Amino acid sequence: MIIHPDLAALRNDDAPQRQAQAELGAALAAWRDQAAGAELGEEMRRFAEGSPLPDLPRLSALFDPESGKGQQLARSLLATLTRSFAAAPLGQVPLRHFCDDTIAMLMLARCGGASLALQTIDGVGVARRPAPQSASFSPGETWELVLSGEAEARLVTLCQPSPDGGRIQTQPCTLREGDLSVRNGSREALQFCKVEGSLVTLKLQRRDTSGAPSREYRLSDGELLHQAASTSRDSRMELAANLLGRMGRTDAAPLLAAMAEEQGSVSLRWQALRECLGLDTAQGFQTLCAIARNSGDPLAAPAGALRAQLLEQHPRLIALDMGETQCPA
Amino acid sequence: MNLPKIDLSALPDLDTLTGVFGSLVHPAQALEFDDSVVVVMVFIYDMIYP
Repeated sequence: MIIHPDLAALRNDDAPQRQAQAELGAALAAWRDQAAGAELGEEMRRFAEGSPLPDLPRLSALFDPESGKGQQLARSLLATLTRSFAAAPLGQVPLRHFCDDTIAMLMLARCGGASLALQTIDGVGVARRPAPQSASFSPGETWELVLSGEAEARLVTLCQPSPDGGRIQTQPCTLREGDLSVRNGSREALQFCKVEGSLVTLKLQRRDTSGAPSREYRLSDGELLHQAASTSRDSRMELAANLLGRMGRTDAAPLLAAMAEEQGSVSLRWQALRECLGLDTAQGFQTLCAIARNSGDPLAAPAGALRAQLLEQHPRLIALDMGETQCPA
Repeated sequence: MNLPKIDLSALPDLDTLTGVFGSLVHPAQALEFDDSVVVVMVFIYDMIYP
């Protein structure tokens, strides 16, 4: 293994790196105070809670192409970071970031399900990728302002979605500096076809809190190919419910029953219900019956079918369905 | 109380399964970039866990 002498030196004494990291953090904090300011943080919080963007003057100004505020924010951040890197090239930007052969992204602010990010898309990376066969639609809203560069893209729109698919419409478009793209993620997706050099955008996103999944459709015929949890929280909770079940944690049955009756992702609720039934028959079955009785619940039909199946297999459960806790047998 | 133990494997899934956050059938071709991208990062420590 070849280790650069600068890195090898840090193995013996990491104080210079810690110092550089502290200075980078301080520089970024100063930028945040000056360029972004506490008001922007407060507006991100209100945006995450559902306030309309036009009601938030600092945040909406960033996405007003006439104001130039978005460009100013990006330029001041890059000036701050490049100054810091000149002094400490091994410093790590203390912002969430992502990078692959096509995209580089810095998350400037994040609050609840809302995020503000600076993003670069590399034209060479885009050209290397095969033509997309599918489009993915994630529930949420996106505002994307082109800060520099030009791209050919296509707006994919999902029309008349049904359980098995939907009608897909595609419309070519060109994105240039100053263009603003506003999208409803549950039915609109933007796919980049060609980028000259690189495209830099400022992107504001807000996730939907309904628990609806993200869905991937085939472009050629609109068939639903896949659906996935729309938030990492839903997947994390589902894994936790499965783990509690495998551990035989009967004490977690009331928690799983409460999860099953919450609003939100039907997949998460169904898995919590299954695990609850496996851990505690009485609690699980009573929860199942309550869900089946609630005709407004999207899980009412599958819960009703499962209740009928279990009653046929275990007739003694009828006592629980009648609201009793003791089995008459 | 004398209730039957319910076998988890006998309980059906919903008609349409839901994958984990960030999963896609055609991930390599997805040229839509949003915050649902999931990256698994591998850390290798050559000494001891810090």
